[in-house]
Amino acid sequence: MSSVAFLQSIVNGLASSGIYICVALGLTLVMSIMGIVQMSHGEIYMIGAYCVYYMVVHLGFNFFLALLIAVVFVGCIGIFLERVFFRPFRGELDRAVIISIGLILVFQNLILSIAGGNPRSYNSPIKGVLRIFGTAISWERLFIVFTGVLLLVALFIFINKTKTGQAMLAISQDRVGAALQGININRLSAIAMFLGCGLAAIAGALVGALFSMSPTMGTFALMKGIAVIVLGGLGSISGAVIGGLIIGLIDGILPVLTTSHIAGLISFAAIILILIFRPQGISGHE
Amino acid sequence: MNKGKAISLINVLIITGIMFLLPAFFKGPYVTHVLILTVLNILLSTSLRLISLAGLMSLAHGGMMTLGAYTTTLLIIKLGLSSWLALLIGGLMASFLAFLVGFPFSRLKGIYFAMVTIFLSEMVALSVEQWRSLTGGSSGIYNIPRPDPIIIPGILNLTFSSKVNFYYLICVILLISLLILYAIERSRIGMTLSGIQQSDSLSESVGINCTGYKVLAFSIACFFPGIAGGFYAQYISTINPTTFGFLFTIYVIIYLVVGGMKSFAGPIIGAFIFTILPEILRPLKEFQPYFFAGSLMFIIFFMPEGLVGLPKRVVALYDKLIDKWDEHA
Repeated sequence: MSSVAFLQSIVNGLASSGIYICVALGLTLVMSIMGIVQMSHGEIYMIGAYCVYYMVVHLGFNFFLALLIAVVFVGCIGIFLERVFFRPFRGELDRAVIISIGLILVFQNLILSIAGGNPRSYNSPIKGVLRIFGTAISWERLFIVFTGVLLLVALFIFINKTKTGQAMLAISQDRVGAALQGININRLSAIAMFLGCGLAAIAGALVGALFSMSPTMGTFALMKGIAVIVLGGLGSISGAVIGGLIIGLIDGILPVLTTSHIAGLISFAAIILILIFRPQGISGHE
Repeated sequence: MNKGKAISLINVLIITGIMFLLPAFFKGPYVTHVLILTVLNILLSTSLRLISLAGLMSLAHGGMMTLGAYTTTLLIIKLGLSSWLALLIGGLMASFLAFLVGFPFSRLKGIYFAMVTIFLSEMVALSVEQWRSLTGGSSGIYNIPRPDPIIIPGILNLTFSSKVNFYYLICVILLISLLILYAIERSRIGMTLSGIQQSDSLSESVGINCTGYKVLAFSIACFFPGIAGGFYAQYISTINPTTFGFLFTIYVIIYLVVGGMKSFAGPIIGAFIFTILPEILRPLKEFQPYFFAGSLMFIIFFMPEGLVGLPKRVVALYDKLIDKWDEHA
């Protein structure tokens, strides 16, 4: 592989990492605050993509304005879901999984009947390529990388510097202890769902601009997101970042070197191996 | 034998009788197909419960079915083996894979274990797709021959030319499997497994080999999807790597959890109701998924122990009503 192709595949890998990290951060937030795996997270991501699509293509909104509205809208869906569907099952893994499978069915069919099953896409708001070291890299992919870094920094500051963020950290460490200190778990669960769903909506909108969207796009994102948080360690933000980088780069680089099947085999085997030698994930705790 | 045991034995015999008589009342290829799927799903979800007894949730059932189906098919087509022997080897192959990966995998707990089993499942499908010369790649294998006829001179001449005979075959497989699984659950192994489910470290401290028992449960439980995959390939007569995908495994878990994980009858009831239900809801056309999802959530919301707890709830409600009535009177 020439160095040009290598550079390009690294940028592609980083762009995928950005998407995976956005999805995984939402999952890991909800996981550590509420103790459930929110399987319909992929569908939230899909709804985010379709919201932006409708606003940009049919209503002629500016992409960034549409993104902002979609984040707030999808975040509110998240608060609704938390209140109605997930609050009764906090900490009950099995039953919450079945509830979210039900939600997956509902959301997928809803979007299918509204938008149809054909893949859709819209013109990306960011055009042009960056010519550097004799290779061309689209600004679009770099934009995704920048957005990922920006969101990450923002979330990091939120968790470490604000009172709400610190309360979230406390809940993830010990729910009963946090409640005894007067932390309102219901309120923070709603905030976690809002943030998680908002992040998923951003990731969905970016994927919609870069590739295409379909009612079943959420399954792939969910699989990748869960793989990232499991690899990184449940409930750990730095773990989600490291896991996202590893899986994104594997996905970016390996298919260039070999066939897509072998690339898939190697990446799954690598994740299994890492987990076997570190059963709690890369930066998780026992 | 005490009275309760006798009653439950009679119940089991009656249900078995009904199971074998069903094709006489419900005729037609479509209905028979649904019946076969129902029995197949009961087999899958009940075997998944054996793994959950040890406190683990496996999502490798789809991959194990793919492995069993391809092993059986290839042995029949390429080596010309008897289909019954091939079916058995297909199951043993799945069991063997589970045994191999069981030792490293059982170090992992909870969702970590579930994840590596998903990856294992995907790896099986990808390997099949990659190994084109043997498996036909992603387009799969067509025209898989039917199982060999069972001929006992003078008594029995059973050929698998009709769907009804396939139904009887899977019923027999299910009965044998249920007997084995029930015996395991009631044996010392089953007791030990539920001990491990309640506390890993406590079981370890009283001298139980946790890893060994987990691997044992995993490899026994994976034998059945291997057999089921081999059966399904011969029944449908075509197989490709995506037949038993991720969604397929998810449905098996729905049957198990919705039916009730705590009792042996749970996955049986869950698989029965939730395989039949989508077919009954079919006239609703595009609204069918909403009703399916709705009934799923309804059960999870209002029956914490699954469908299996329904009779007890109804009895409790009835008693309450009677009491209220008495108070009024």
